[in-house]
Amino acid sequence: MAKIILLFLKLLGVLYTAQAVFEDQVGKFDWKQQYVGSVRFAHFDNQIQSSKKVLVATEKNVFAAINTRTGELFWRHVDKAGPEGNIDALLLQGQDAVMVVGDGRILRSWEVNVGGLNWEMVLDSGSFQSASLVGHQEHVKYVAVLKKAAISLHYLSNGHQKWIENLPESDSVDYQSVYSEGKGEVFVLGLVPHSHITVVVYSIDDGEILKQFTVEAPWMSDLQSSCSVIGKGMLTCVDASSLSLNMLDLHAHSEMNQIPLQSIGLEASSSFRPVLVSSQPNAARPPLSEFFLQIGPDQHVLLQLNNGQILTLRDFKPAMLVSFATTGEKTVAAVMSPKNKTASSINLFSAETGRRLLDTTLIFTMDPNGGNPERLYVQAFLKKDDSVGYRVIVQTEDHQLTYIQQPGRVLWTREEALSDVVTMEMVDLPLTATQAELEGEFGKKADGLMSMVLKRLSSQLILLQAWVSHLWKLFYDARQPRSQVKNEVTIENLSRDEFNLQKMMVMVTASGKLFGIDSKTGTIVWKHYLDNVPSNAAFKLMVQRTTAHFPHPPQCTLLIKDKDTGLAMLHVFNPIYGKKSHVTPPLLPQPILQSMLLPLMDQDYAKVLLLVDNQYKVSAFPSTKNVLQQLQDVASSVFFFLIDADQGRLSGYRLRTDLSTELIWEVVIPAEVQKIVTVNGKKANEHVHSQGRVMGDRSVLYKYLNPNLLALVTESTDQHQERSFVGIILIDGVTGRIIHEAVQRKARGPVHIVHSENWVVYEYWSTKSRRVEFSVIELYEGMELYNSTVFSSLDRPHAPQVLQQSYIFPSAISAMDATLTEKGITSRHLLIGLPSGGILSLPKMFLDPRRPEIVSEQSREENLIPYAPELPIRTEWFINYNQSVSRVRGIYTAPSGLESTCLVVAYGLDIYQTRVYPSKQFDVLKDDYDYMLISSVLLALFFATMISKRLAEVKLLNRAWR
Amino acid sequence: MLFRERIPLLWLLVQATLVVTWCFNAEMETGPSAGVFAQSNSDRFKIEGRAIVPGFKPQDWVFSARVLVEGEEYVGFLRTDGSFAVNDIPPGSYVVEIISPTFRFDPVRVDITSKGKMRARLVNYIKTSEVIRQPYPLQVRASGPHSYFVKRETWGWTDFLMNPMVMMMVLPLLIIVLLPKVVNTNDPEMRKEMEQSMNMLNPNPELPDVSELMTKLFSGSKGSSKTGASSKGTRPAVKRR
Repeated sequence: MAKIILLFLKLLGVLYTAQAVFEDQVGKFDWKQQYVGSVRFAHFDNQIQSSKKVLVATEKNVFAAINTRTGELFWRHVDKAGPEGNIDALLLQGQDAVMVVGDGRILRSWEVNVGGLNWEMVLDSGSFQSASLVGHQEHVKYVAVLKKAAISLHYLSNGHQKWIENLPESDSVDYQSVYSEGKGEVFVLGLVPHSHITVVVYSIDDGEILKQFTVEAPWMSDLQSSCSVIGKGMLTCVDASSLSLNMLDLHAHSEMNQIPLQSIGLEASSSFRPVLVSSQPNAARPPLSEFFLQIGPDQHVLLQLNNGQILTLRDFKPAMLVSFATTGEKTVAAVMSPKNKTASSINLFSAETGRRLLDTTLIFTMDPNGGNPERLYVQAFLKKDDSVGYRVIVQTEDHQLTYIQQPGRVLWTREEALSDVVTMEMVDLPLTATQAELEGEFGKKADGLMSMVLKRLSSQLILLQAWVSHLWKLFYDARQPRSQVKNEVTIENLSRDEFNLQKMMVMVTASGKLFGIDSKTGTIVWKHYLDNVPSNAAFKLMVQRTTAHFPHPPQCTLLIKDKDTGLAMLHVFNPIYGKKSHVTPPLLPQPILQSMLLPLMDQDYAKVLLLVDNQYKVSAFPSTKNVLQQLQDVASSVFFFLIDADQGRLSGYRLRTDLSTELIWEVVIPAEVQKIVTVNGKKANEHVHSQGRVMGDRSVLYKYLNPNLLALVTESTDQHQERSFVGIILIDGVTGRIIHEAVQRKARGPVHIVHSENWVVYEYWSTKSRRVEFSVIELYEGMELYNSTVFSSLDRPHAPQVLQQSYIFPSAISAMDATLTEKGITSRHLLIGLPSGGILSLPKMFLDPRRPEIVSEQSREENLIPYAPELPIRTEWFINYNQSVSRVRGIYTAPSGLESTCLVVAYGLDIYQTRVYPSKQFDVLKDDYDYMLISSVLLALFFATMISKRLAEVKLLNRAWR
Repeated sequence: MLFRERIPLLWLLVQATLVVTWCFNAEMETGPSAGVFAQSNSDRFKIEGRAIVPGFKPQDWVFSARVLVEGEEYVGFLRTDGSFAVNDIPPGSYVVEIISPTFRFDPVRVDITSKGKMRARLVNYIKTSEVIRQPYPLQVRASGPHSYFVKRETWGWTDFLMNPMVMMMVLPLLIIVLLPKVVNTNDPEMRKEMEQSMNMLNPNPELPDVSELMTKLFSGSKGSSKTGASSKGTRPAVKRR
């Protein structure tokens, strides 16, 4: 028996290897884009002049090296998401990058060239305050980490702790920064807010407290934001209330020396909080004695500290951003100032004198659809004639990085907003003008036989012309070397291909930037930054009008909802061009509870969007008379549900003709026992081809295809591993009838669920066996169909048969979805994003509750795989081969024009787009189809017949003569 | 004899180890729950080990590899010599995997008791309590590169020729074409010899003729119908005898 099963499995293995990727398909129709997230720290690697690395640490807990020539990544290290992987500080010293991670929990050092780890140290607990490189005798050998109650010094070479000392009076004093200038001392600066500053001086050698003193500073509330050490140990603080600079010599502990800003000729508005910008190019030496003081939103002053006196070197107004950069012994200041509305200029100034350096102007052109510049990272280098040259990275509010060289040539841009895609849709591309013309012929009413014929002929002519030009282009391209052929994607040449495989990916990111990406090449066709998006917004993207309704433009609507207040707004735009639509969306003064897209269309073919506010009033968009009329007609058949996860309440409502609502059912799940995690309906664009399954004995088992079915997942509030459970409830959204309920004991989330056709697949963590388990529920009507023509939730007297089976999955998963095809004929696969970065395409066949434990003749007839507890993971099933996708957050599937083909986009930190063929390419010739062989065989046969015919003739003639 | 005596002894030893592992397991079960209730920072441990890819320098692959503990719950990175340490892990049982897009490493289950005792064993998701010890600190060897791709079915002359259908078509054709040329059928002596050999081949006239069977089978195809025709030609000769 076992042997038979094994044989059968082997056979299946043979059958299923065919769905894998072939090596020659690499990069043919798939692409990957790698992102790092919004940059928090960036350092240019300037240990050697020719280095082309910039090291970035980001909000997404990623540490990466970007190639400054191309903007691609050299390497990238993705740490754990959440606060435990949070990068608190990044310090660069030579080839080593030192990082403090997880609120001062871990100290890491990276080798910058290879991207490998040098060492990793666990630090004592305590919240992180500051970290600094410490130099001694012209060499930087240590790193100091300041925590809430302790300071520790570590060797840079191996991370070992040199010493750790408790800070005196740490419960009252708030120690915030650490400073050293390479003289064998480490200064720790602490503050008792609105009282005094505490300075503790430690010896580098053994951590002994050399000095300790306090200075009165009753006005100060925060040290880190208002103070900075300048020159040879001069602590300089800016007081926003009295508008003065306060200086304290750390070596000679005296009183604070107050210098009003007016006395050095500066006028500052009291509403703005001044900011200090200083620079310490080398940790073994004191910081520069020059510093910037920002005294207004667009005013910076370059000041110099000279023998205790403050001199104004230069006043920059207007100036948005300033930054210091050092190369060799020279330090320069880069200042960005607005030039006109769309561009700003960056200039270099000598830090010592404030003199403008010649020929250093760089123009940064701002994207009208982007955000304002936020930060400036300057890479300075010495040219051959010893003058300073530079390139800059400008970071804008929409997380875009632009690398520019003089005089304004953009070398690359990185759209880091795409590291946080929240939701997306794929929209068909529009037809070209000629195609539209041809389509128009069929749409118009007949106007006489003759004109119809003429029109037909003319359109055929147009087609011929297009074909000839296409051939000519092919010929022309073939003569050119491959590298010179550029297939640039622009809005103008975007058009639908014959199988509708190329689409527009509309992506919504958490930062509020919208992107339109061509699915074939991954080119960003348009981008649009919405600057009024709240930081904790939830997004819902809906396609109201597709491209099928020429000449009406396609229309997408984005619902942006503030999660705290529930207040929402609508952004209506054209998904192909990204332009904001002329249609003015309604203002939504009330918090929105639910939104739904009805299949109804207004006279302009836009689907109707219904929004339910917290007064249970329904508003429609668009809300023309025609729409309202239609709504009145269908109101009795419009049902919707609302979820209140806090109260554990799921309630069903019905629309009345006056657009008010009526509660018809309510399901309460006791919130103190279990909480609702997700409610999952079916996809609206899903088609089911076959109504049933043919059994081994030739009878039909009909599927229970309820389009109103909701799958509700609950998790227990009790997290104890013996008592925790995961519940799943299948509920009819119209009647509120509970179709099925299942509980998985000793299980906990996170639960991933896919609900499609007549099945629900969900995944959970089994706390008892410490493994991931899959469970599948399938619903069947039985051997007879109650009403085969139409499904009505109100008239379905028989409860469906429920089959369920569970399996072990040998990996954790991060996202899951199912393939989707045009007509639903192709077999389904589950697409599972794994933490390892692979996207597994698992045939649904393996998750079939009818898999038998004992193989019979009938089950073999049905092609059922014998039950095995463990689901296989084969690397051949990875649709993204070695193109790992980090932290997959969602998988989007869309049907293409070919029934066999499903378009897949996996998004997370990276974006990966490909096509999958769950049942192989049965409707097109395979791409390895051997045209040469078939034509040569045909030709050979043709010639063979010709020759044999001739030979036969000769033979006949000879015989006749005999 | 000595051998026979040894077997029960061995068996006893096995049982003893089983008992020991059982005890260990019982301790394990209480481990994580204790961790839940008394989660202080002091009882956190680190998983150490080394990843080896035979034939490759660590510099060539460490930058793309990571160590994942229980999915992405804890993440560790590889040092430039291939060793790793995942810090800050509370007691419990974890599956440790080394993830690399190019090389395949087998996962290992690591158990940490509340006292910080470590143990590594093979991952078995079906029999979760089964213990097959692995070395700790972990020594994870790559079991080769990942095979992501499937070979295309290529077309070759040998495949074509070795196809049974083609063989069946081609061999009779060769016989038909070549035999008359090799053997001079007009020579009466030769004919006699052939008849004799045919008799040798077909000693029992009651048995159905092979060639006749062939004709029935391949009555459609051209080549075999010719064989049929040729065999018919020889048959009257047999009867004549």
